[in-house]
Amino acid sequence: MTVRLTILSILMGLGVLVPQVVQAQVRYVLSGVVRGVGASEGLPGATVAVPALGIGATTADDGSYALTLPAGRHQVTVSFIGYATQTRELNLTRDQRLSFQLAEAGNTLGEVVIEGSGSLEQKLQTTQMSVDRLTAREAKLLPALFGEVDILKTLQLKPGVQNGGEGTSGLFVRGGSADQNLVLLDDALVYNPSHLFGLFSVFNSDAVQSVDLYKGGFPAQYGGRLSSVVDVKLRPGNPEKFTTSGGIGLISSRLTLEGPIKKGKGAFLVSGRRTYFDVFTRQINRLNNDDPDYNPIPDYYFYDFNAKANYKLGDKDELFLTGYLGNDVFGFNSQNGFNFDFSWGNTVASVRWNHVFNPRLFLNTTASLTKYKYQIANKLDQFGFNLSSDIRDLTLRSDLDYTPNERHALRFGVTATHHRFGTGSLQAGSQDGSVNIGSDVTYYGTEAGLYASDTYKPSDKLQLEYGLRLSGFQSGSDAYGGLEPRAAVRYSLTPNVSLKGSYALMYQYVHLVTNTGASLPTDIWYPSRQSVKPQRSQQVAGGVSWLLGDGRYLLTNEVYYKWAQRQIDFKDGAQLFVNPDLDSEFLFGKGWAYGNELYLEKKQGRTTGWIGYTLSWTKRRFPPQRGTNGINNGNTFYPTYDRRHNLTVVVLHQLNQRINLTGSFVFTSGAATTLPLGRFAFQDVAGAEPSAVPIYPERNTYRLAPYNRLDLGLVYKLKPIRSGGESDLTFSVYNAYNRRNPYFVYFDQIENEDTDEVLGYRARQVSLFPVIPSVTYNFKF
Amino acid sequence: MMRTTWISRLLTKKTDLPVYWAAIALGLVGGSLSGCGLQKDIDVELPAYPPQLVVEAYLENGRIPRLSVSESGPYLAPPTLQVPTDVQVVLTQPNGRRDTLRYGPNIDRSTGKGYTHSGNRRLTARPGDVFQLEAYDTKGRRITGTATMPALVPIDTVEWKFDDKPGDQRRAYVLVKFQDPANATDFYRFQVHKGRLTEEAEVEYTPDDRLTNGQLVTLGTSYEFEPNDTLIVTLYHLDRPYYQFLQSVDDARGANGNPFAQPSGVRSTVEGGIGVFTVLSYQRRQVILK
Repeated sequence: MTVRLTILSILMGLGVLVPQVVQAQVRYVLSGVVRGVGASEGLPGATVAVPALGIGATTADDGSYALTLPAGRHQVTVSFIGYATQTRELNLTRDQRLSFQLAEAGNTLGEVVIEGSGSLEQKLQTTQMSVDRLTAREAKLLPALFGEVDILKTLQLKPGVQNGGEGTSGLFVRGGSADQNLVLLDDALVYNPSHLFGLFSVFNSDAVQSVDLYKGGFPAQYGGRLSSVVDVKLRPGNPEKFTTSGGIGLISSRLTLEGPIKKGKGAFLVSGRRTYFDVFTRQINRLNNDDPDYNPIPDYYFYDFNAKANYKLGDKDELFLTGYLGNDVFGFNSQNGFNFDFSWGNTVASVRWNHVFNPRLFLNTTASLTKYKYQIANKLDQFGFNLSSDIRDLTLRSDLDYTPNERHALRFGVTATHHRFGTGSLQAGSQDGSVNIGSDVTYYGTEAGLYASDTYKPSDKLQLEYGLRLSGFQSGSDAYGGLEPRAAVRYSLTPNVSLKGSYALMYQYVHLVTNTGASLPTDIWYPSRQSVKPQRSQQVAGGVSWLLGDGRYLLTNEVYYKWAQRQIDFKDGAQLFVNPDLDSEFLFGKGWAYGNELYLEKKQGRTTGWIGYTLSWTKRRFPPQRGTNGINNGNTFYPTYDRRHNLTVVVLHQLNQRINLTGSFVFTSGAATTLPLGRFAFQDVAGAEPSAVPIYPERNTYRLAPYNRLDLGLVYKLKPIRSGGESDLTFSVYNAYNRRNPYFVYFDQIENEDTDEVLGYRARQVSLFPVIPSVTYNFKF
Repeated sequence: MMRTTWISRLLTKKTDLPVYWAAIALGLVGGSLSGCGLQKDIDVELPAYPPQLVVEAYLENGRIPRLSVSESGPYLAPPTLQVPTDVQVVLTQPNGRRDTLRYGPNIDRSTGKGYTHSGNRRLTARPGDVFQLEAYDTKGRRITGTATMPALVPIDTVEWKFDDKPGDQRRAYVLVKFQDPANATDFYRFQVHKGRLTEEAEVEYTPDDRLTNGQLVTLGTSYEFEPNDTLIVTLYHLDRPYYQFLQSVDDARGANGNPFAQPSGVRSTVEGGIGVFTVLSYQRRQVILK
């Protein structure tokens, strides 16, 4: 009750629910959806404006817009960079719906049409700060490791975002860890968004339309994670005609089919991808079959399928279906009785019902299923064991958009998720039954959220966005909850300069159990319980955006400060697998992150791109607790993803109609890592073979060498083989100047090869990837 | 040996699991890139590391107490073992008697193991007996420790079974059964030596009874022993501090060179320095695989 009253008070205080002063002029709402030609789903971020009145709006995530205009004739202009601007006239005599279909500006496969992620003018004017939008088309133009376009890795080129190590797709946003990202695929949560131990993300660029990364200033509809929201939208199918597209790359191939379900009613898209490491490794194994000293290479492959469909049930109702199924499969079967099968993957399904009550009121209701599971089946001679873990969510959410007038845009919503945490199931035994042990630990939890927000524009210069979210979590007899206020403000100093600020408080009720510092398939999720309370963070950010060069450049500078409580780590030597008493292994501490992000971008012309520079600090402190000295004896330390400097330069240049050149350069300070300072000789009980045992007094006291890398790309558009068909060759060179970037450092013994006598010790630096060229053939017909 | 250790570790210490497979993934991706010069020697500047006293003391009933006190050093220092000569060691018996152990470094010729301090009389130790250790030098460094002898957990049976392979390929596995006490969390160290104890164990792992409390427990090996092999099977019953020490030593060694591991400090059973002070409680069987 208190919460509801609070929300009502806030809204009433700002006059949202107070009847508007009688208007001097009759006004009506013009609303609709902006789509691309051949697309059934809307374009988010497009501008719908009536220039003569100086009134305009930006389309929402689903491409919808609503303008309150005086009755009469108006000229409405719709623009979205990368698409041809469209102007239409209308006579507004009542609330009216008007939708637009924009033709892509010179859109052919492989051409430099990198925009589509919102114009600089829009970014200047929006209240939302700390957000990066990226389209799959942008990502496809940039060079990629093994030629595998990865939209999450492209996000790592944005300021404030760090990666978790060479080539990995994990995102570490403004000092947050990878498990503090809310990764959504068409509003459904994805728990482990990576293949191959984090080297590739699960998002097939053929099926993805765009991704929005919120680093701060989180809108009230998002909750459940502390550090970021990664909102991935799948591409809708082509409602006009059937098309096939795909690509053949160095390590995988892709195929996408799309077309209308029923003309004017709906469309579908299905897209699949599979790697073929295993095809080559099997051949290598076969060639070495006769070599007794040869160790066979295990089978490994991953695949994923995406599906999306939409269907209009009537003028006011439309259904959207999304599905994802992806698995990594790892297998090893030796002739001497050792068999090992390991698979892991996500399953995501969602259905969204969009209902238009009237031009001022929209409702989106989404039901979704999310599942992540890993399974290990191992057999060695007469012994075998099966180990598995999974998490499954069932979610129902409803979001209501209401635009009472041109000054306010309200959004209300409610969401509820039922979690099942299978934190570990183990069955081990021998064929003769002499060994038989097992364990199975499962928890349940319910997470809920209720929110209201308002975008309020008291004047042309000032715009506010504020909201409140009430979130809660219950598992067994334990229940937690809290209020999460959110606020953002934009003030236009001049038409070209905006000042922005934001505040957000976030709770996280589920926790990733890992002590490896990397995203691995065997990481498990764990609910908040009596001794593992929810994580909490707050972030304030301020910034200035400056439109330069007649609107061709946007310079943005943001500073942020984030502080977090009940951050999670684990005791040294913690037993994290199949441990019924996992609660006792947690450690809790505080975290701080602050920094400055400078970002200059150019989105128009033959040469486009951006330069980003981040100066940041991330710190953690875990005081003595639970019979331990905490971490580093309770002193503040830097987590491994703390980077002082991060510079990225991305350039895309259209050489001519058929050739596009791209390049990206990254420089980051060295990662914090742990090296042993000392060693001692350990004889053990027997004493025959003493060994050196490393001594690690504290974590992350050493910095690896700085990281820098240049990637180059070239997209060459081929002549059409058939009418309407398109194809290109995309060349990538990863790590073009073949720098040996540090992946990790270890200490090694120097031994006399004849006597095995230890002569000394040395430090060795290991790099992961040298220069890697690749080529991918893409087609569409 | 390799395979047995592997599965055993999976069953007994699951924290290695992701690390192991992540390493395989890296090998998979980077395997084809080997030979590209992806490793190199580098210079690292480490903070100063003050040497600490290191003690290894394993008391046994009926044996003269012998232990080693050495000194840790910077990792990249020359590999010479530092043995301080000014350390006094006092062993306190369960009855409160304090015995000062004699300094006299030597190497046991039968085992190759080095000692720095020895007692004068054989030790009497029964389960539940509490011993104390104190070692100090002239620089003011002092190690103290307390150890309680765990109860003996006897081996119930040792079995082996050969596979059906012909001739030279014929191999046997070994199973050891014992009754786990039900009233507390128990820790074990299981070893199978071939021929003699001074060689590295063919099979070794350190299980606990998290999943087998109070049950008749079976520990085993894979098919890896040949006909007529003489095997020495040892089952140690450990107390928690010694078990944690062994685990942490294993973790520390495994973390060096593994980018996915979370390095952690050795959990000594003593205070004021590094090392282990424990009273061994074990049963040993010798079998010939016929």
